[in-house]
Amino acid sequence: MNEHEPMLRVEGLKKYYPVKAGVFSRVLSYVRAVDDVSLEIFPGEVYALVGESGCGKTTAGHTILRMLHPTAGQVYFQGQDILSLDRAALREMRREMQLIFQDPYSSLNPRMTVGEAIGEALEVHGIARGAARREKVEHILEVCGLASYHYRRYPHEFSGGQRQRIGIARALVLEPRFIVADEPISALDVSIQSQIVNLLKKLQKQFGLTFLFISHDLSVVKHMADRIGVMYLGSLVEESFKNEFYSNPLHPYSQALLSAVPVMDPFRKKERIILKGDVPSPANPPGGCNFHTRCQYARTFCSSEKPVLKEFSRGHQVACHMVLDEPDYERSTPFG
Amino acid sequence: MSEPVSTCRREELKRDTEFRQVLMHLRRNRGAMVGLIVLAVFLICAVFAPLLAPYDPTDSNLGRALEKPSAEHILGTDELGRDSFSRILFGSRISLAIGLISVSIGLVVGVPLGALSGFYGGKFDLFMQRLIDILIAFPGILLAIVVVTILGVGVENVMIAVGVASIPIYTRLVRGSVLSVKEEGYVAAARALGIGNTRIIIRHILPNCLGPIIVQSTFQIATAILWAAGLGFLGLGAQPPNPEWGAMLSKGREYIRVAHHLTTYPGLAILLMVLGFNLVGDGLRDALDPKFRKSR
Repeated sequence: MNEHEPMLRVEGLKKYYPVKAGVFSRVLSYVRAVDDVSLEIFPGEVYALVGESGCGKTTAGHTILRMLHPTAGQVYFQGQDILSLDRAALREMRREMQLIFQDPYSSLNPRMTVGEAIGEALEVHGIARGAARREKVEHILEVCGLASYHYRRYPHEFSGGQRQRIGIARALVLEPRFIVADEPISALDVSIQSQIVNLLKKLQKQFGLTFLFISHDLSVVKHMADRIGVMYLGSLVEESFKNEFYSNPLHPYSQALLSAVPVMDPFRKKERIILKGDVPSPANPPGGCNFHTRCQYARTFCSSEKPVLKEFSRGHQVACHMVLDEPDYERSTPFG
Repeated sequence: MSEPVSTCRREELKRDTEFRQVLMHLRRNRGAMVGLIVLAVFLICAVFAPLLAPYDPTDSNLGRALEKPSAEHILGTDELGRDSFSRILFGSRISLAIGLISVSIGLVVGVPLGALSGFYGGKFDLFMQRLIDILIAFPGILLAIVVVTILGVGVENVMIAVGVASIPIYTRLVRGSVLSVKEEGYVAAARALGIGNTRIIIRHILPNCLGPIIVQSTFQIATAILWAAGLGFLGLGAQPPNPEWGAMLSKGREYIRVAHHLTTYPGLAILLMVLGFNLVGDGLRDALDPKFRKSR
């Protein structure tokens, strides 16, 4: 896969939210929702962004699509700088990259029929109208496991899973090449989740889609992803191919995450790593390594020096002083 | 989807246009139908007033002043001997016009301002809202008086004045709704699809603010009729001998102990018309919401 040019290249992406107070809205500090994320996604691959809630996965996904304006950083899609596009060019670009939402209930306009909701984009982009529009919409409905007679129905007539299918159909109707799926299954019943995951997988094969798959569910990610990036407090701490990641997680945080995934075998003894404490506030992140307050291997060096993402083995990057065997880490004393 | 019986009925429903579905739902709503009938009666009265009225509403006959309701004058006569029933019939023309036109003025100006203010936010919003603050600081009726004073006395100017006085109410209302609706997922989805702001406001945001707007409008029609009556009372509205309900009410107030019918019937007319608008507005809000429409 690596012989291709990346489809999406993100460099040093930052999204800070100012914390304001007082009559004159003085900026007190910033919430670092996304703090210096760089990644590359190659054509046809599924890149999963994982991490616990509040770690900035969703903000990163939305910022990459320029649904939010980043504080700093660059996003190149097929070699083009998305952040410098003017309004018209951005709207053109929207045909190429789409978003699937987490909440299938709020993401559909209750006053629009399914046909209108999906077909609107076709009309706005001047792709099809009238009978041609209807034909296209009915086709995409069937591709997404719905029926053509759902065209005239309203969203409230559907179940959560069906609504999510409508959301997927809406994202796919413009025939995009790149899709950000923002926790597309976390709001659904477990029994429905597998259907939607399988649908996404089928669509990915059928249309050769490239995915940025945002999730906190590591067992779903194992099923979907080709590569995985782990986020903690706004930054990437590890990035690896799927098999490598599940067999050999390097970052202590990744290890803790993986140890929390339930195993099918009740007799298999499993070492469960329980992290102590809470995630620090992104408005006031700890100095040095973001994770050092909860890391069992932390040493004093970790609290002063922020580790950067470095290649450990081919395609496997990690941001951890201990894993990277840095001499200063060895020399310092255990933290806490 | 599962039971075949309902599918065939739904297939039929599919062919219905949005408009027919709204009508169908409205027909099932008993309250709305009552309101609709009341309004229809008033509309007929207003349109055919010259045919229905037994007397000229401005024809005075001092010899028969302040008569109680009788076979000749079914709602009695006023202090100048004019037929109350005829005056109420003609008055429905003025009241309907004041209610509808002034609310239209408020809607046409207030809704877009509120929508833009809520959607774009920032400096424009700040400026708009301070302006609205100033307008809201005055009671609506006072604002209307100011406008009438500037424009001059008369029914047309009362309509404009009451309309202008209701602009801040709509602007605030719509801004508030827009602020909450624009955070919905489907607005973000529309942006992600490359749909322009104008279209997002018109197709996605405003339809979902419709409920409060309709309900407010039905109340506002009632308020407008009452404000117009108040202005009439102050001599700024309909000029005598124009038969305006509010003016009739305030005039009849002087004779309430000897001829209560002079206040009772115009008052009842106002009550019924306001009630009619409220009932229809309530039904319309439900009928326009697809979620309420299907669940009976």
